[in-house]
Amino acid sequence: MSERVSWVPEGLDTGKPSAARLYDYLLGGGHNFAGDRALAEKFLQAQPNARTIARLNRAFLRRAVLFMMDHGIRQFLDLGSGIPTVGNVHEIAQKADPETHVVYVDFEEVAVAHSQLILEGEPRATIIQEDMTKPAAVLNAAEESGLIDFGRPVGVLTVGVFHFVPPEADPRAIVAAYRDAVPAGSYLGFSQFTQDLQPEEMAGVVEVMKKSQNPMFPRTKPEIEGLFDGFALVEPGIVPLPLWQPEGANLDDPDKAGIYAAVGRKL
Amino acid sequence: MELPDLARRWMNALTATAYIPLSHAEIEQALLDSLIELPAEPESVGYRLVSLHATGPDSLQVTIDVLSSAFELPVLARLSSAYAQAMRMDAFDQQEQIKVAIVRAKQRVERTLKVSQARFQEVFDSAALGIAITDFAGRCVEANDALAEIVGLESGADLHERDLTDFYHPDDVASLSASYRKVREGHVDRFRDQRKLIRADGEPVWVHLAVSLLRDADGEPTHFVTMVEDISELHLLQRSLDHQLLHDSLTGLSNRQHFVTQVERRVESDPITLYHLGLDAFSVVNNGLGHETGDKLLKIVAARLRKLADEKKAIVARIGGDEFALLTIADNVTSTVEEIQDALAEPTFVDDHGIALSASIGVVDRPPAFTTAAELMRCANAALRQAKARGKRQWALHDPHDDARRRGRYALAASMPGAWEHGEIEIVYAPVHDLETREVLGAVARLHWEDLSHNDTMALADSTGLSLPIGKWLLREACAQAARWVAEFGDGAPTLHLALGALQSRDEDLVGDVKRALDETGLPPERLRIALDISSVLAGDDNAVVLHDSGIVTALDGFHGGHDELTVLTEVPVRTVITRAPAPHPDSPLYQAMRDLIAAVHSFGVRFGVDEVHTLEDAEHWRSAGADGVIGLLPALAAAEVTDLLTKAVSPPPEAS
Repeated sequence: MSERVSWVPEGLDTGKPSAARLYDYLLGGGHNFAGDRALAEKFLQAQPNARTIARLNRAFLRRAVLFMMDHGIRQFLDLGSGIPTVGNVHEIAQKADPETHVVYVDFEEVAVAHSQLILEGEPRATIIQEDMTKPAAVLNAAEESGLIDFGRPVGVLTVGVFHFVPPEADPRAIVAAYRDAVPAGSYLGFSQFTQDLQPEEMAGVVEVMKKSQNPMFPRTKPEIEGLFDGFALVEPGIVPLPLWQPEGANLDDPDKAGIYAAVGRKL
Repeated sequence: MELPDLARRWMNALTATAYIPLSHAEIEQALLDSLIELPAEPESVGYRLVSLHATGPDSLQVTIDVLSSAFELPVLARLSSAYAQAMRMDAFDQQEQIKVAIVRAKQRVERTLKVSQARFQEVFDSAALGIAITDFAGRCVEANDALAEIVGLESGADLHERDLTDFYHPDDVASLSASYRKVREGHVDRFRDQRKLIRADGEPVWVHLAVSLLRDADGEPTHFVTMVEDISELHLLQRSLDHQLLHDSLTGLSNRQHFVTQVERRVESDPITLYHLGLDAFSVVNNGLGHETGDKLLKIVAARLRKLADEKKAIVARIGGDEFALLTIADNVTSTVEEIQDALAEPTFVDDHGIALSASIGVVDRPPAFTTAAELMRCANAALRQAKARGKRQWALHDPHDDARRRGRYALAASMPGAWEHGEIEIVYAPVHDLETREVLGAVARLHWEDLSHNDTMALADSTGLSLPIGKWLLREACAQAARWVAEFGDGAPTLHLALGALQSRDEDLVGDVKRALDETGLPPERLRIALDISSVLAGDDNAVVLHDSGIVTALDGFHGGHDELTVLTEVPVRTVITRAPAPHPDSPLYQAMRDLIAAVHSFGVRFGVDEVHTLEDAEHWRSAGADGVIGLLPALAAAEVTDLLTKAVSPPPEAS
């Protein structure tokens, strides 16, 4: 692999759309730019149900956090948290228990700056700027933040983000590194795009995102199962977003949910 | 429809349009509150919807759909208007927030960039490595002062716009360009090479090169980075180490190892002559004038020999402390020896000391081609020893026959320490006869080893450094034996005679050793005669005087009858002198001279003894010439044999038969 000679850091280019701001736009947020919205329109052409998928994914995040809170988790590591939009982890969790600690992790400059704005005056939540695919650096920074005690169970969240991790980054090793850093009884909350649901639309999305800063890599159910090595999957296992411990009776169509969701408990 | 049912319908509709981060129950409660409030305060309901984040593209539409059955249009219009206003404000807030985030992110990036640039600049400026950033045409966009220094320019700025290839050796340009191209085309990430650069002043400088690519933010290659490490000093150091390994640090001449390889290289093909020089009396200079003077002298000798070697196209080396070697090809030995002596004989002044120089020289001339270099060196050394034995300023040609004999002797010397340790060196006792009375005056304790005489054994011991310990051992053992005889036979016991080697004779511990031997063995001092080597007395050593003052009778061994020896006899209180001269035949013209000499010795009150007299005839000649005693008439016996003889009879000496 040819190593880049980076003797100057790359500058900041807001003209380039980011997946984080695209997500915000799909959720009806205003933290986005023309470039993000243009990409979002293409995304919507390929997957007309994208807004619903974004909403369902965000709702799964909430349910997953509350599930973990119910099971005693009081510290969260939110990998690839993106820009703070509606229903952030610390808001959900601290509503249940104000003492809950949350460490957000993102690499993108604007997302990090934005998160810092939101988190000003929040002593129990912070954002660290690291690449979630480099677990050693993330874990080190999380430890240094003083908000995560790796001796106690941790809720590790990678919600709607793992489809940005390419196969060559060795996804299993990444998950394993986080798994190994937390004690038994910790949880992994996970969701990512899959080609098992609406394969045509998925292929279109992959094509749209291919040339962006955040190309996407959907995974099949067996592939996702592989990532949960060392975890016991919580009921109902790996399922389309709306089927994971739904709150109400009137369900969205699981076949159009685009994303698999799962929660596992470290053995 | 009852309000709670309406609230549930509204909730179901709304949550399908937007993500509201609350539980369904909470949302339902919030909406129920809104329904109660709606007729009076439709605006606040509009604001609340936005704050609940019921802000999907279809959220307002489904709200109107659900509520239109239960509420009047004006109320819904006011709600819609307030909702739109709240959405605008919310959007402004969010845009404001994201703008602040952008500004902060940019500031941070710029700050990082600045720090990073400052850091880079610091590395760039202070690096010991020369660094150049060049465009793909090879022109320097930026270069640091370290690189300028390597190529002989004032500062990095002087390299700006210069073509880096200008500094490559013309022969290297093509291959280096190919290497650069490979890096640029991505075949290799970087290349390293060791090349000679040509400095601005035309001087070559050896460097390590490391070349890699710079890329822009999109990862596109834009420039080369060339790192240049000046390794000339390393080169010099390496060369200097090589030089040190092969040269003598004091004189700068080749050392022994280097010389031997040169001999090896030539012995097979060329008619070589090897000269092994030993400076005469160099130890006198070193001991007398100090090592610094000695070193200066060695440097002078080296310079002269080097000059001579240059003239003769010879190879010269310093191969030992005061030993040098010269290798010539197709040479005339006698003229070269003269040239060497002439070169050394030029008056030499070191630290105001005028020093006369000469050398003894061993020569090996045109050895057979199959001879090894080591063998040649040994032969030259043997010849040098021979030359030295002849005196100063002598030279000797290596003689293979003589060499074989010497080697036998050296082999014997080498085995001596082991032999002594294993008790193979014995002490034997030879009788001393009075020529007048024919009585046994005493017994001389001597060493016996292999077929060697006492004197040969002592000489060998001298060459191995064993003579002192052996001499002390002989002194103590012989005294102990003599004391036993005294104890057993009283006056019938023989007086013990000991002839000491040259080293022991001038050993400053000698007097102490003798006294201790007497004390420890109980031998009365008057039963001991010590013969000192006459050279020690001539050299001014006072052991003879001190022994005499301690009541021990002394003799001087190795007497030749020289004037200086006779002089000593007038100054030093000795009882006897001992010589090894051949017996003077009465018909010989020397007979009278010997008689006169003996008379002269007698006139100083000193007796005259002769060693190594093996026949009665010789003994008779000595007697007639006036000598007093002889040693060697009877073979030396082991202590037990002597004891036997003493036991059998306090017998008269054997009659001459």
